[in-house]
Amino acid sequence: MIFRRFSTKLTGLILLVSVSISNVMAEDLVVETLDETDAKWQQTLKVAKGKSVYFYAWGGSKAVNEYLRWAKREIAKQYGVRLIHVKVTDPGEAVARLKAENGRTSAIDLTWVNGENFAYLKQHDHLLGNLWSSIPNVANLAVDTLPITVDFGESMDGYEVPWGIGQFNLIAEEAVFSNAQFSANDLLTIARNNPETVTYPRPPEFHGSTFLKQLLVNLTKAEQRLYLAATQEAQEELLPILWAYLDKLHPYLWQQGKAFPTSSSEQFLLYQQKSLSMAVSFNPNQWIKEKATKQISESSVRRSFIDGAITNSHNLAIPKFAPNSEAAKVVINFMLSEQAQQQKFAGEWGDPSVLKSMFDSRSSLPAHGEPHSSWQLILEDAWQQRYGG
Amino acid sequence: MATTLRRLSRVLGWWLIICIASLPVWGILFGLWPDEDTSIADLSRLLAYQGLGLSLWQSMFSALFSSLVSLYLAFLIYSQYQSHSKVGGRWLEKYLSPLLSLPHLAIALGLVFLFSESGVFFVNGEFGLPRKGLSTFIMAIIIKEVPFFLLILITVGRQLPLHGWLLQGRALGYDTSTSWWLLVFPNILKHMRLALLAASAYTLSVVDMNLLVGPNIPELFAVSVYRWQGSFSEGDQALGFWANVLLLVLLAVSIVFLYCHEKLAIKALQHWAVLGRRIRLGFVDTLGSVWLPASGLLILLMVLVLTLWSLGFNWHCDTFSLPNLNTQLWQDEWLFVALPLQNALFIGVSAAILGILFTLLALELQRQKGRYLPDYIWLLGILLPQLSMVLGWQVSHIWLEGGYHSGWVVFAHLPFTFGYAYLVLKGPFQSIDANYELIGASFGYSPWQRWWKIRFRLLFPATLSAFAITFAVSIAQYIPTLMIGAGRVTTITTEAVAIGTGSQQDVAALYILLQSLLPLAAFLMTALLSSRVAGPKHSTLGISRC
Amino acid sequence: MLSIKNCLIESETWQIRFPDIQLNPDDLLVIIGPSGIGKSTFLHWLLGNQPKHVNISGQIFIDGQDVSQLTVENRHIGLLMQDVFLFPHLSVEDNISFALPKSPDLHSKKQRRTKAHSMLEQINLEHLSKRYPQSLSGGERSRVGLVRALANQPKVMLLDEPFAALDPSNREKIGKWTFQQLAQQAIPSIMVTHDLNDIPTSAKQLNLADYYQSKETP
Repeated sequence: MIFRRFSTKLTGLILLVSVSISNVMAEDLVVETLDETDAKWQQTLKVAKGKSVYFYAWGGSKAVNEYLRWAKREIAKQYGVRLIHVKVTDPGEAVARLKAENGRTSAIDLTWVNGENFAYLKQHDHLLGNLWSSIPNVANLAVDTLPITVDFGESMDGYEVPWGIGQFNLIAEEAVFSNAQFSANDLLTIARNNPETVTYPRPPEFHGSTFLKQLLVNLTKAEQRLYLAATQEAQEELLPILWAYLDKLHPYLWQQGKAFPTSSSEQFLLYQQKSLSMAVSFNPNQWIKEKATKQISESSVRRSFIDGAITNSHNLAIPKFAPNSEAAKVVINFMLSEQAQQQKFAGEWGDPSVLKSMFDSRSSLPAHGEPHSSWQLILEDAWQQRYGG
Repeated sequence: MATTLRRLSRVLGWWLIICIASLPVWGILFGLWPDEDTSIADLSRLLAYQGLGLSLWQSMFSALFSSLVSLYLAFLIYSQYQSHSKVGGRWLEKYLSPLLSLPHLAIALGLVFLFSESGVFFVNGEFGLPRKGLSTFIMAIIIKEVPFFLLILITVGRQLPLHGWLLQGRALGYDTSTSWWLLVFPNILKHMRLALLAASAYTLSVVDMNLLVGPNIPELFAVSVYRWQGSFSEGDQALGFWANVLLLVLLAVSIVFLYCHEKLAIKALQHWAVLGRRIRLGFVDTLGSVWLPASGLLILLMVLVLTLWSLGFNWHCDTFSLPNLNTQLWQDEWLFVALPLQNALFIGVSAAILGILFTLLALELQRQKGRYLPDYIWLLGILLPQLSMVLGWQVSHIWLEGGYHSGWVVFAHLPFTFGYAYLVLKGPFQSIDANYELIGASFGYSPWQRWWKIRFRLLFPATLSAFAITFAVSIAQYIPTLMIGAGRVTTITTEAVAIGTGSQQDVAALYILLQSLLPLAAFLMTALLSSRVAGPKHSTLGISRC
Repeated sequence: MLSIKNCLIESETWQIRFPDIQLNPDDLLVIIGPSGIGKSTFLHWLLGNQPKHVNISGQIFIDGQDVSQLTVENRHIGLLMQDVFLFPHLSVEDNISFALPKSPDLHSKKQRRTKAHSMLEQINLEHLSKRYPQSLSGGERSRVGLVRALANQPKVMLLDEPFAALDPSNREKIGKWTFQQLAQQAIPSIMVTHDLNDIPTSAKQLNLADYYQSKETP
């Protein structure tokens, strides 16, 4: 996944263990929901019929593309709506278009978005609101158990609807990463014993930045101040711990840290070609899917940081001036149906469900909340300053 | 009446040409117009960016070095094939087709897959290319640019009396190689100016190849520009604006550098000519003769690897067995690629033909005026940073409430095909002897007939090359196709580029192969055609008049 | 001294068996014959430029030395064609400097240019020395071409329809001047021409039509 996100305003850790733990944010979320039998929804279905929905979504994943081909067939069959996947290389392409359209009728009916892109679109009033109250299946979202009401510090407020879950994990060679969970120090030992096989995507690539956040969380023992706006003092105290660690780690990295993969995809290819002993992923089930299709070796396993995997959601939004917003709502509603969520999780993609009824601890990792969003830019800038030139 | 009509059509022609040629400026102005909150403070933030100096230096160096090395190598190869091989350029042109068809990215991919540390042929640290590094990046660019320069050389060379010069040079006691460098090179160099500009502008601003094999501590400048421009977080847009301005400065510097290089190179060669110096190239000569076979082999291997990947071969499999290969993916995807291929074909052919037509119009109008405007004016589409330019078009397209159909996409490709057509055709157009038309006039042909039956006829082989190149250029466009077509117009390239950002090597390989098919067909077709039609046969002038 | 022995031009349908040719330093041989018969081909072969469509065999001796196996650049044979192929990137004097042989007294750029200039002076063309070929008239080009060829001090000179591109008044004047120059330098020369007016009275003649044999069986 190539989404970039800001960290959430979550003030503590959220643990995604089998028993649901109530989310502080969930209480604010008294949204009225719509029933499928409601006349308003029936009207939406009627208007939607025969319309086309241009869905701007990353086109780099075969699994996602296949899933959308399936969804296209189902949506056509069930609702008479034509879903068209506009394959983009980066969600920023949709944002740039919405910025250029600036209030005119959009070429986009639906977009896959999160993080800073969502924040930008919401703040600049480019998105259609009230999605939560106008799409019936939103009622089934697992808002109590998953951190899916806030997108990297920006409250969703009905401007986007969660579609799936990302959890930071490693796909690794079992022989090298022998334990299910690892700490920063374990990683250093592994890198030292297996030089040139460990690396991470170059920040500010999103996976790379998250890797840094996970290290920082682990090295500072999830210090409270990471979940508050980053003060000068907190930075001066906490960041040097990370830099001292990276100074030790980098000489053992792939290319001795003189070059980094530019994306998680590239790192995955290097892993596939056995140049690396680990790859990074935001899909907790990617490893098992890749193994099933024989893309990676049998000895591949999933590994995560001992503090839990940083977890967030990826979402769907409708531009304010989308010509077929009603049809787009129908698509979102379908995407949140049990049928679609089941297919998404069980099919080639393996993306965890966001529905209450389908919450399954085995499909996900113990979760860890995002540090405060201010830390992300600080980490990226400081990394660039220290290691990027 | 007739003169009024002619004058009117000339004015109209100028207007048309000015419109096409100014599209890039229009795009840049609108696309780069800064947000209100962009300030000089952001510029100092950009200048303070860690590693900026090295990044700029490496970008400039790779752009200029790779273009110049490609040019010299291509000329060396051209001279050897022309002198030694009986079939000469004709054969060379056909041979070039596959080398020109594979996308840049595929070459880079092949290079690292085969020769980097973990690559198939990696022997030891001495010979391997770094997986990411300036040397790998430059190497990949050179491998891709040499065939491009060769094609331009063949096109230009066809219009010049090379063999007459060479024969005189040899009769005056100079060996073939010296004659090529002292007599032909200075005369061909100014015809290569546009190609050099285009190649270095490309290298300066290419992103995809850079991401794959370029160094990233620090990353080359184009990548930073792309990143800032594509990010909507606070401050990045402002950085993106200033970075684009800086990129324009780099372009201007490289233009000046290439002009100076041209002047100096010609001066130096004139100096040696007067001194009667002999030029010995030693081992470089060998490099020239092994280069093409070697890069041909590389491409062949790469196509083989891509084919294997697309048939389901996995690199991690410790044992390789043929029965595991299957055509499932080809069968699955075939349904989905037919339309994108068809769209790409339609857009490519239209944009190529229009680009050539407008180029001929621009050249003819300038010839009639008796003065040629500076080259870079016509090449702005190729020289200016693409993303900002297309962004400007996108904004205008939205204002105009233009529809999202292939017509607009063709229009958005036009500045690029126009630029490349101009680059290919200018030299050949200028070197056509006006006497031919004079003779035509004496036979009573009207100006239009003279143009069509004589000038265009003589230009035809060059036009064929121009068609193949502009067609390939159009096929390769991702940003204009997506941003103007808005997803309504999918081409094989929009599909291939999107899939290329992922990690599925089987699908990615399949799309790269499919993406290469159309240009390959165009290059092969034109190579075959141009060996059938006769251009100006300067090359055999000395011999044919027995 | 130039002598040519056992020369045979062969194509699929015809052949020409040349008589042995012997030229003294001040000799001029003019080869005539209908067009397409192989006159230019013969000159190019002498120069060392093997033609593609026919076979030519024979021996060439210059001052007693067999040059048949030497490459063009080692034969010291000058060639003047209808298009003299002046090099467009070099000025007139630099075109001539380029042709000057290597010798100790022609070492520096200055020495070479001075020499070229003085050669132009001898024929009153020094006003052209800084000009570029594109700006010369046809007659000027022919003359500069000959000066350039002579500057190289060739042992044999070949002229392939050298005056065909000139208008009649110039043609006679320049023709005369050319033969005079060649005679002065005592260079054995061979000229191919269509135009019988071009031929000076002192020249030997060879009509290829006399040696032409068709291979086709009736």
